Amino acid sequence: MEKPPAKIDRRRFLKLIAGAPLAAALGSVTVADADTLRYGKLVDAMRCIGCKRCMSACKRWNNQRVERDELITDRNTQLTANNYTVVNLRTDGKNRAKRGYVPWSCQHCIEPACVGVCPVTAIKKLSNGPVVINEKKCIGCRYCFQACPWKVPQFDFEKRVTRKCHLCYNRTLLNYQKPACVAACPVGALAFDYKHEIIQEAHRRVERLKTPSYIMGLTEAGGTDLITILPAEPSDLGLIAAPKKVINHNLDKIRVTASGILAASVIAGVMYVYAQMTRDRDEEYNEPKAE
Amino acid sequence: MSLKLSEPIQPLLEFMERSPRLVIWFAILSALILLAAYALLASLVTSMEILEFSIKIPWATMIATYIFLVAVGSGLCIINALGSVFGMQRYEMMTRRMAFLSLTTILFGMLCIVMHLGHPERMPIYNAISPNFRSAISWMGLLYSVYMAVVVVELWLLNRGDLVIRTERSEGWTKKVLQLLTLEKLRGTRFGPVLEDPRLPRLIALLAFVSGASALSMLGSVFAHSESRLLWYGPYYPVYFLVSAIFSGFAFLLAVTIITYRVKNEDIFPGLKAVIFEMAQVLAVVLAVGFLLMIFRLAAGLLDPASRAPAMLLLNGPFRLGFWGFEVVLMTVIPIFVLIWAAEAKSLNGVLTGSLICLIGTFVMRYDFVVAGQVYPNIPQGLPSYWPTIMEVFLIIGVFGAFLLTYTLGEKFLSLKEEMSNHETR
Repeated sequence: MEKPPAKIDRRRFLKLIAGAPLAAALGSVTVADADTLRYGKLVDAMRCIGCKRCMSACKRWNNQRVERDELITDRNTQLTANNYTVVNLRTDGKNRAKRGYVPWSCQHCIEPACVGVCPVTAIKKLSNGPVVINEKKCIGCRYCFQACPWKVPQFDFEKRVTRKCHLCYNRTLLNYQKPACVAACPVGALAFDYKHEIIQEAHRRVERLKTPSYIMGLTEAGGTDLITILPAEPSDLGLIAAPKKVINHNLDKIRVTASGILAASVIAGVMYVYAQMTRDRDEEYNEPKAE
Repeated sequence: MSLKLSEPIQPLLEFMERSPRLVIWFAILSALILLAAYALLASLVTSMEILEFSIKIPWATMIATYIFLVAVGSGLCIINALGSVFGMQRYEMMTRRMAFLSLTTILFGMLCIVMHLGHPERMPIYNAISPNFRSAISWMGLLYSVYMAVVVVELWLLNRGDLVIRTERSEGWTKKVLQLLTLEKLRGTRFGPVLEDPRLPRLIALLAFVSGASALSMLGSVFAHSESRLLWYGPYYPVYFLVSAIFSGFAFLLAVTIITYRVKNEDIFPGLKAVIFEMAQVLAVVLAVGFLLMIFRLAAGLLDPASRAPAMLLLNGPFRLGFWGFEVVLMTVIPIFVLIWAAEAKSLNGVLTGSLICLIGTFVMRYDFVVAGQVYPNIPQGLPSYWPTIMEVFLIIGVFGAFLLTYTLGEKFLSLKEEMSNHETR
């Protein structure tokens, strides 16, 4: 399935030209048009053999300790501050015969909910894709965990900060290397490239497959920079199914906040009416004093 | 020799002889605070994990206590506005108690948050240097900071007259400190008339009302912005937070006022009694409004297929006891009947009972709201379970102990007592 060549009509060109200084001034390039600048990671659960070399490489690169038995193939593991990526055997709820290993980590949303809620801007979406937590700035409030549709950010009780996969931005950006997990995968279940290349590759792989499959990340949470090929729908595999729209959109937040402000205004009005209606009672209280 | 040793502690011994009940009370509260200090120290020395049983439910009892205390404080701020902003003179006599209680409950609520944060020391720095104006927590912190500063000014204005009298009676260093507190040196300067202006307390009270109500609404938004938490998400909770804060504020004020008078063996004068019974009636009405909002919320949840599952957690899930037993029966139904009866029968015991039952129900409601909100959706390998750890319980009773200690000291050293002529002196 070839992606149609990007067309730039006059209106879109003018919009890009007009928006460029603003984007430069704000220092953010989280625009869908920046696909060609952004990297993405492909996770092909159909190819994964559950060897957990990705987990091992991730831990080595990030200096994380290995818990006892957690790197054994069929051992169920969960995301923690010490596990940025996990691989678990999952069964399709609708067809129990359908089983497969599913690597799981931060999805690196295009418009991340965690970035919008962090009170001290400790989380940033880098222009080339990764969503990164600045651990020196994190206050450990765990609001990002509440906002994330996949419940990915995990609290480190020893360092007292929240941690998660950062797509090895310190390898890809500084050393022009692939992320540790991608470099370690022996069967090509993980791939790292420009985002549009990754999407094309995902479609190519799905076309070649004989069994039905599902591409996750194209629309979930408004689109993510992690594209995952799953053997079935996420909810059937016991994964959290994120809504297919941007989570915590600014307009939604304004709408919710406005309801509170409106209610406060109504309450102030009711209080005023109550004070006016019962004004005569004040006089009753004052009368004994006047005597 | 022994006589000389006892000399420095002589005033303390005299105080113990004079009021042994107060000494025992202080000893109990200090013990509770020490327990909290032990839990905090243990978490610093070992790991914060001892304060959090479930990694999947990171906001738990500490956050529930925070919401409970802060909502009570904000509710008191709104009730206080009836007297100090909207001019209801009979409510104005309780302004000092309300302002003091509001400040202390919010302060100790904030303490819960500070102990819950991984790095509280970074919060003021990065909130000032790099705030995120898209984050409700950032706004909430800012608005509560403004509110607390305004209430401190309000309390100072309310107590300034008493401070001036105390300054005249005292000597030495105490006099100098009190002179500084009363800003006596400003008298005669161009700021003097501003401080004496009778419109200033009303302006400050208005500022307190606006910042307090906005901060409370923003606290509701902290939860309501979380689209991933279906029980919390939507425009309902900022509204419900306002209403629930008002009824919890009323219940808290009534309970604290009646208990204070009972403990001090003082009679409540008829004017205050009448206000208490009127407040009990208003509390019953606000509880009824809250009940209607609760029904609306659940009906909306059940009708929407996406949020049916979290609503069922409360109605027929693991939180059903908390919901039906505490939120419906204890927080709403029983207090409504008890308060209406007590106001009609002029029974202070009835008002006290209704308020205390309502407060217990409200605390459980806050706990259920926080914990149930995080249970769904979660890692789909069964619902995560949570129960407070003993260290968490130590911290919470320590916070309540510290609040009671501060209130006792405030009651002793500030003039919080209601006077019929309070509004006339200002």
